[in-house]
Amino acid sequence: MTTASGIRSLRHLLLSAAGLLLIPLALRGAAAIHPIPNLQPSYLPSLEGPRERVPFDASRPAELARMQPAFVVIGDSMAGSRIDPAVFARTSGQSVAPLLYAGSGPAWWYLVLKNWVIASGIHPKAVFVFFRDTNLTNVMFRIDATWSLDTAALAREDDLNAVVARRKGSAFYQVRSAFDRLYGATEARRWIEPAVNEWPARVMFPYRKPREAFMRAVNDRFGLDHLRPMDAADMQATEDREADFGAFVDKSQLPLMLRDAQRAGLRLVLVRVQRRPIGGRPPDQSPALQRYIRELRSYVEGHGALLLDDTGDPAQTLELYEDGDHLSREGRRVYTEMFAERIRLRLP
Amino acid sequence: MIFHSLDFVVFFVVVVSIYWRLPQRGQNVLLLVASYVFYGYVHPWFLILIASSTVIDYLSARGMERWPAHRRRFMALSIASNFGMLGFFKYFNFFADNVQAVLAAAGVHVSPPVLRVILPVGISFYTFQAMSYTVDVFRGELRARRSLLDVAVFISFFPHLVAGPIQRASFLLPQVEAERRFSIPFATSGLSLMVWGFFKKLVIADNVGVIANKVFGLRDPSFEILWAGVFAFAIQIYADFSAYTDIARGSSRWLGFELTENFDHPYMARTPADFWRRWNISLSTWFRDYVYIPLGGSRAAGGVWARNILVTFLLSGLWHGASWNYVLWGAYHGVLLLATRAHQMLGPPPPHLRASRFGGQAAARMVVVAQITGMFALTLIGWLLFRETELHAIVRHLQLVPWHSTPEDRQIGLYLFLLAFGYSIPLWAQSIWVELRRGQPVRQEESWTRAGLRALAYGAAFAAILVLRSRTSLDFIYFQF
Repeated sequence: MTTASGIRSLRHLLLSAAGLLLIPLALRGAAAIHPIPNLQPSYLPSLEGPRERVPFDASRPAELARMQPAFVVIGDSMAGSRIDPAVFARTSGQSVAPLLYAGSGPAWWYLVLKNWVIASGIHPKAVFVFFRDTNLTNVMFRIDATWSLDTAALAREDDLNAVVARRKGSAFYQVRSAFDRLYGATEARRWIEPAVNEWPARVMFPYRKPREAFMRAVNDRFGLDHLRPMDAADMQATEDREADFGAFVDKSQLPLMLRDAQRAGLRLVLVRVQRRPIGGRPPDQSPALQRYIRELRSYVEGHGALLLDDTGDPAQTLELYEDGDHLSREGRRVYTEMFAERIRLRLP
Repeated sequence: MIFHSLDFVVFFVVVVSIYWRLPQRGQNVLLLVASYVFYGYVHPWFLILIASSTVIDYLSARGMERWPAHRRRFMALSIASNFGMLGFFKYFNFFADNVQAVLAAAGVHVSPPVLRVILPVGISFYTFQAMSYTVDVFRGELRARRSLLDVAVFISFFPHLVAGPIQRASFLLPQVEAERRFSIPFATSGLSLMVWGFFKKLVIADNVGVIANKVFGLRDPSFEILWAGVFAFAIQIYADFSAYTDIARGSSRWLGFELTENFDHPYMARTPADFWRRWNISLSTWFRDYVYIPLGGSRAAGGVWARNILVTFLLSGLWHGASWNYVLWGAYHGVLLLATRAHQMLGPPPPHLRASRFGGQAAARMVVVAQITGMFALTLIGWLLFRETELHAIVRHLQLVPWHSTPEDRQIGLYLFLLAFGYSIPLWAQSIWVELRRGQPVRQEESWTRAGLRALAYGAAFAAILVLRSRTSLDFIYFQF
């Protein structure tokens, strides 16, 4: 290559790099097209900037205080598809308060425990938190949709924010949010992403009401009733990255949950659900995951709580399952009865 | 380690920064260390397998050359070790399950042992690559290398280690052995490939992948919803796999290596044979050279030729996964080839296809468009077989008819199709552009206008990644193979 063409090539490369880094700055302008009203500082500033938020739901602790339940069940659809509160109450002869949110994660579970259950001043016999495999030490699990935490979060959540900061201190989040801040990507994404995903509906239904009805119909079409049993084939490869208890426990909300429950004199029972059996056998568990669970148990029990592990329970056969790791309606009834019996023996 | 992670970006920047400061041998040592770090990042025990495969193939090749009278034994050792590992990790459970099912049908109930380990990522790719080395040495087409380091770098070269493209020893090994010089145009084109690859993965593949996953999770899809999902999967698998290839080729260029192309706009194919010259080219040529031709290829008599085609495609299907739907997918494509009597399968393209342009008369253009559309429809049927792992569900899906759908399902199907199509517009635009320009001379010297447009495209792609990257990060599909 001649010197002249070499310099020309270098200039072209630099131009490409400049285009790559500078053109996305236009997103700042795009963000300004639809400014967000009523911005409030986030209670998780390490994760996001100011945004609109749904108010804290103060009626929940009040309701709990009035109800004085003997058992509280916290969790996502894993708990929801396993525990039938009416069956649990009837079988155990105790009152049950389900605090469930499909698609929720450990950050929500922690906030509910702290701001609803403990704040209500109740003293139930046990507070159950249902989880899958490594959920409890992965504070980032389902934290992206922070609005879903709003009703359980106070104006400041410094402890949670600190663990989120520690966890995302794992460079990836820092770099990603630095880029997002630099380019105004979060704000631009807030309107560009829905615009892109809804354009077919806008073409098909130009008017808002029929379009909204259609989008609801789309969501219903992919609801639980229409899903089929699926092999939880993603189990190992995805979980193994998280199956390092020592590395993640201090970057998670688990120590906060255990600490707050202990201070409030609550008996916390963490229930690890069994994932979907495959081929008539309990689900495979990698050596890393087995080691993780051993360490989790030892840690939890060392902090005054209890770990119940459903994995490998011969009574939890494939017939109980509906789709993925969810149980069917009948499976839910069977599981709830078995669970109540187990609790009767473990927590007399 | 996965490409679309910060870990990889840091890893890659560090490797490239050190790499060009080292002499050639030092570069190879660094590449080997980097490749092993890359591969063993999550599961270090995977390294035992790749290292064993490397040592056995290296010694087998050396043995063949040193003791020619025993070359068959050394070849057998190489085949047994590579296919033994592949068979054990990938097919053991499949084999055990099927034996159990057959015995159960005969009234004998047994519980065969089950292998409870994760399939080592990329094992199908690197064992095939390693095999190409020993087979070529066995055939006398390549001399056995004295340097274990060079052979190890050839087998483990990290950019393409886990999902190809599968490189031939005759193509990559000379590059490993040669002095490499940093080239700015090479690096620029590498950056192009990487940006395009990340865009395809994060914006196109992951977003349409969500649609495909939703549809294939349905118990009762209608005709329209199902085929919208299959369309989404067709886009996903192409965008996903070609993205991996592009990032692999792009990052290789920053290290002074050229990897072979793996895709040539497959959805512009006009016949099944044409499709296989454009889809996963490195794998299809591997099967052509090491299975199809040794079986007799297309020179064999009609019946034998048909058998050769079917055997090749059945094995190709089985290579993708230990499941009957992959076998069915392979058989389907084999039958398509037989049905269209594509005599030139996997060979050089016939002249009328080589110059496949949309020029000419309107009628001729219409024919071309009809051929491409027809072949794409046939490809979609294949993707249904590929994506749907339950055989009874495949039968049920193929029985679906549009007149049994509810009006609402038709609308939902249209919505999903348009959504997937919208995300895939850049893919279609690129393919049509390339097809229209195929055969035209490529300008050697790059103009400022072109460089400016490329910079604009980079920026747009990065902006799209920032605001449209899927919230659901999916692994590269071909990792599972």
